[in-house]
Amino acid sequence: MESLGNTLANLLTIAWLLPLFGFVVQILFALRWWGRKSKTAAYLAIFCIGAGFVCSSTAFYLWGEGTDWAVFKPSEHGHVEQADAGGADHATAGRDDPEHKITSHESEKQAVFAGPLYTLATFGNLHVSLDYYIDSLTLAMFVMVTLIATCIHIFATGYMAEELVDDYVDHQVHTHDGGHFHRPGRFYKFFSYMSLFCFAMLGLVLAGNIFQVFIFWELVGICSYLLIGFYVERHSASTAANKAFIVNRVGDFGFIIGLMILWTSFGTFSFADQHGTNGKVQPGLFSMARGHDGELTKTADGKTVVLKTEQDGHGHWEAPAEPSHQKTITYTLLIVAGLGVFGGCVGKSAQFPLQTWLPDAMEGPTPVSALVHSATMVAAGVYLAGRFYPMFVPEVLLTIAYVGCITAFVGATIAIVATDIKKVLAYSTISQLGYMMLGLGVGGWGAGLFHLITHACFKSLMFLCSGSVIAGCHHEQEMTKMGGLLRKMPITALTMLAGVIAIAGLAIPGTSIAFSGYHSKDAILATALAYTKLNPIHFLLFVVPLLTAGITSFYMFRLWFYTFLGKPRDQHLHEHVHESPWEMTGPLLLLAVLAAGCAIGGEDGRLFKMLTFSEPVGVGHGVDGAAAHTVSLPGHAAVHESHSTAGSAALLAAFIGMSISYLVYGKGVINPADIKRQAASVHAFLANKWGFDDLYDVMFVKPAHVVAKFAAAIDKFVFDEILHTFVRMGIAVSKWDRKFDEGVIDGIVNLMGNSTYSLGISLRNVQTGKIRQYVTFIAVSVVTLFVLLFALYPKG
Amino acid sequence: MQAIGPSPFLFIGAVLFVCGVICMTTKRNGIGILMGVELVLNAANLNFITFSRFTPLGLDGQVFSLFVIVLAAAEAAVALAIALNFYNNHLTIDVDRGDELHG
Amino acid sequence: MTAQIILFWLFAFLTCAGAILVAVSQNVVRMAFSLVLTLGSTAVLFLLLGADFVGATQLLVYVGGTLVLLVFGVMLTATGPFTRIKSSPADAILSGLIGVVFLFIVASTVTAVDWDGGNGVAQKIAMGTHAKAVEGGFNPTQQGNTTRPLGLSFLSLRADRDLKLGLPKELSGEINTAPVVPGMAAATPGTTLLPKTSALLSTGYLLPFEIVSVHLLVVLVGAAYLARTKRRATT
Repeated sequence: MESLGNTLANLLTIAWLLPLFGFVVQILFALRWWGRKSKTAAYLAIFCIGAGFVCSSTAFYLWGEGTDWAVFKPSEHGHVEQADAGGADHATAGRDDPEHKITSHESEKQAVFAGPLYTLATFGNLHVSLDYYIDSLTLAMFVMVTLIATCIHIFATGYMAEELVDDYVDHQVHTHDGGHFHRPGRFYKFFSYMSLFCFAMLGLVLAGNIFQVFIFWELVGICSYLLIGFYVERHSASTAANKAFIVNRVGDFGFIIGLMILWTSFGTFSFADQHGTNGKVQPGLFSMARGHDGELTKTADGKTVVLKTEQDGHGHWEAPAEPSHQKTITYTLLIVAGLGVFGGCVGKSAQFPLQTWLPDAMEGPTPVSALVHSATMVAAGVYLAGRFYPMFVPEVLLTIAYVGCITAFVGATIAIVATDIKKVLAYSTISQLGYMMLGLGVGGWGAGLFHLITHACFKSLMFLCSGSVIAGCHHEQEMTKMGGLLRKMPITALTMLAGVIAIAGLAIPGTSIAFSGYHSKDAILATALAYTKLNPIHFLLFVVPLLTAGITSFYMFRLWFYTFLGKPRDQHLHEHVHESPWEMTGPLLLLAVLAAGCAIGGEDGRLFKMLTFSEPVGVGHGVDGAAAHTVSLPGHAAVHESHSTAGSAALLAAFIGMSISYLVYGKGVINPADIKRQAASVHAFLANKWGFDDLYDVMFVKPAHVVAKFAAAIDKFVFDEILHTFVRMGIAVSKWDRKFDEGVIDGIVNLMGNSTYSLGISLRNVQTGKIRQYVTFIAVSVVTLFVLLFALYPKG
Repeated sequence: MQAIGPSPFLFIGAVLFVCGVICMTTKRNGIGILMGVELVLNAANLNFITFSRFTPLGLDGQVFSLFVIVLAAAEAAVALAIALNFYNNHLTIDVDRGDELHG
Repeated sequence: MTAQIILFWLFAFLTCAGAILVAVSQNVVRMAFSLVLTLGSTAVLFLLLGADFVGATQLLVYVGGTLVLLVFGVMLTATGPFTRIKSSPADAILSGLIGVVFLFIVASTVTAVDWDGGNGVAQKIAMGTHAKAVEGGFNPTQQGNTTRPLGLSFLSLRADRDLKLGLPKELSGEINTAPVVPGMAAATPGTTLLPKTSALLSTGYLLPFEIVSVHLLVVLVGAAYLARTKRRATT
């Protein structure tokens, strides 16, 4: 078992570090070795991430072999339990408890591998290290990230090809003389940033402790900053990059608070139990909080949680009975810690109220939008929420659910009125991320992460399609100028259609034959419905997502109809449109297959099983919150009951949305301009993005400006004055110094010069130029010398 | 009677030398100054020969006087050439006229 | 001996008189003639001092060559009014004063020194009574036999020192007894001075002789160049 763990760790570490190697080589040597016009840097990047995909797949296969493919054996898992009506029955629940499988050595083989890679620092008992934590979720994320990244890298070699020049003309930057901005092409730099991003993202997924997650969290943040600001000369791009970075800082502030609370109370960052060198086992975060049964151990008054720091005879972690040995944390603090970490997720995943940066981030090149701002980095927030799920108490989960719900609705509504093709997709991404958060929040751990994977597939597909369209339309992003592109770009149009169907969640009624989005969205809605059944007061958590599903279907088909059907709105543009080359359409086709088929089988399919194999303890059987005066969470059985209802409702909503869209934009029965005129105020409100930017402008930016002005005034009138005084003193001293120099020093030098000069003038008269006189002088001198000699030389 | 020792010769040399110096200081004629120089050189020669005779200087004194004679001849030749040039340029041999280098 | 003394005083007088005439005379032609007188008399003094070759050279080169050159100079320049260029009386008085003082100093120096060095050698040589004076042959009074030693010295051979035996003991101590090469024992005075190694040979005058030859050639060319007629001064 140890050897399998080491092999997996080595494979994934290779997959993780290869892009770093690629980044270093590209940023340092690409220009020197291959020049600006070479695609070699791109090939190196593709090789690195492609080799990472091979390593990840191999690791997945080995892991499956090592666990006897227990993950796909139907008899061991959730659905058996669904036959059991009593979802909250602890006795049955214990049987399919994954954590149980890890710790008990009776029947199952180990499926989670964790350990240290490198110790950064040690403070007494506290270790800061780079760890790995490999379970089925890690493997699924690795395979997904590397596969999608490979596709996007290949696509980008075609999309970024115009950067392969020594003199790139940026038509969106105007210089003062009315011309366009010229700069050297940055093809290699794009791919080096992409490689760095892949490294950071894979490190985030592989991380075995929350601090390591934070490190790579910030690394993906900086990559996002660099890539958004890739066209740094464009004012909008540099502003967007700053905005993304600053908004993320707000979330990361919460993250750090959460980290500090965890560090103080738990004394470790590690997810998994740590095997010390002395044979003692240190409990990880999850073991301390949840133990083997997924329950928090509270004191009698319910205000303090006792951490489980001792192992009983079966190797289960239990709270010490002796109060003096107990390590405790107050329940409130646990809520704050959970909210803090979730704050980081809100920032990274562009959730309400920090969602404003993501649409602006579309200033980056489209492959970046596809990889960083739809499929992977923004999903990292959801991933972390899923990974950290055991630490979230029900109150936190409720917050997550509502935040997700609001985000989903807000994003979807704004997407209706957006006309920029990438902006529509960006708001759609926000909306779908809200879905995922909602899924997690209502207790659908598997559902939320399921949607994360399927969304990564179809959203990256749609972004790449939009990139293909943009490239074909010569960087025109406004849908209002497109139309009728189906004939010109058939591959792009059809693959896009696959993505649209996937995200809309369409299916053939009565069967479960559908594209991936249907299954994952269905799972989320089913969980939400089960949740609202248990907690009727929170009924909005089902109604709003259902409504949003309809809106999603509407605006996605609107996008497709707008772009690919109808008459060309801009004839001139239309004439120059062309289908993209193979290196762009190839990835589209591959991703279209993935978007359609990655979730085949729905919740009986392999992907969902794969994910739920790593489900935290206690999710499966739900939580009965009635006794604890808090919300209840549905178990698998409850979810299954709601499945058909929710699925039908969602499908109905999707069809309604599609139909309206077809009527308005496809068939033209209703003129959208009329609607716009009648609901002008609503349209303005939505087009203004619910006024979030204005709100933040008033709330934060303006006050910051006021403070800045005040600080500037202090600088100007206080510090500058002090400095000026010093300067004036310096000038005065200098003036005196100058007088001294001119009067005394110069005077001495001049005096010497003048005296020498006057001496020379007087001696000049001696030089008469008369030879006879000189001879006379000589003679007189000799005589004088002799006289002196005689007079002064001592006698004798 | 006593033979003549070195002193009379040296005295004659002194007279020659002093006359040469006076010549150089008083004559305005360039040729006259040359003559003064010849007198001074002769005075030196006479001293050399005297010491060659009366002291262990020996033959060296005579060798030096020979060198002096030869160099005096050379000096006379060059000086005469200079005098002629001077005459060509100033149309006179009066050295007091040639004071262009005065301070 | 008596004749020698008479001759000495006669030519000493002529020498001094000529020199004074040169200094006093205002006519350049007369000065030239007086100079001939002085230089000729000096040549006789040289002969009296036993320097027969130098005396002959004096007559030949000085009186015969240099002075003719000077007279040519006089002829070329002494045209018309410039023959007599008078000095101012103030100059004459000043120069005379300096000259007298100078003469006094030199004369007093000459008389103040004991030229015998305390052992009377100079006197003996002057009297011709020195034992080795004739044999030593470095300054024979009767015969002019300096020509050969001079010639040899110009060929770097010192016949008077290295090739002769038995120098006067009084002199030998001052000749060539210091070790030329450091560390070599000094030659014992009075013994054979034949050098054991060539390092002890006295220095000859071959190199200065050659230098003077080249010097004369350079002077010949230089004088010819200088005396060339150039543009006349524009007056």
